Amino acid sequence: MATLNITYNGLSADYPLELDAQLTDADVRRIALEVVRAGGIPGLALPALADSAFDGFVVDRLQHGQRIYLRPKVPFGA
Amino acid sequence: MPERPRLVFLGVGALGSNAAVACRTLDAELVFVDFDRVESKNLLAQAYVKQSVGKHKAEALKLQLLNFWGAKAQAHAVRVTADNVAALTAGASLLVDAFDNAQSRRLVSAHARSAQLPLVHAAISADGTFGLVRWDERFTPDEEGAPGQPTCEGGEHLPMIAQVSAALARVIQDFVTKQLRRDVMVTLGGVQAT
Repeated sequence: MATLNITYNGLSADYPLELDAQLTDADVRRIALEVVRAGGIPGLALPALADSAFDGFVVDRLQHGQRIYLRPKVPFGA
Repeated sequence: MPERPRLVFLGVGALGSNAAVACRTLDAELVFVDFDRVESKNLLAQAYVKQSVGKHKAEALKLQLLNFWGAKAQAHAVRVTADNVAALTAGASLLVDAFDNAQSRRLVSAHARSAQLPLVHAAISADGTFGLVRWDERFTPDEEGAPGQPTCEGGEHLPMIAQVSAALARVIQDFVTKQLRRDVMVTLGGVQAT
């Protein structure tokens, strides 16, 4: 069982994810869109989330792929 | 880790300057590298005061730390390039990347990997809702969403900038004192180790 962490609009929540195949970044964005719309993630339920909500978001795979992060880009430091 | 580690801050804008101020009590040698000068608009989100406008950021931060808190630091008011990165980071115990562009981040990352220097990155989203502090082995620089995208120059994002900077300072402290390499992310909900 892997964990998908989704950050959107300053809020972040985990979603347990059964991995039966290697997910592409597009797969991760599509799954996130579905579960956030469906209210499957406590604290991050947005039924009217736009199709483009996660466009441009970055997918990070850590801990040997067991922690997947979907997050906004962070281009700035200064 | 040397008795008095040398911490080299690469980029002392919003995140770099505020984190450096929060690192002033560490028993460490602080080094600031930034070619940019302080502009009036920088006072809204960076650790600079009105009297520093017009000065190089690296020099200004060094002077502020000395004048306000008696903390000594070194300053290099130069742009980091492939030709000088080795000299600027020589003897460093830790590199801290708080640059505002992917090109400079990649340059520093490549050098840190070849020279086997510890490197931690700090970065914030354009809308000021999310920040990351992540060690180089797990960090890939993000490009701007669009060329010329506005940076965190206004005061609107100052609370999040302060929160990410504080998280960065804590990660630096944990590395200096305990040799821990902790990644964290910062959202409106708080700071979370990842």
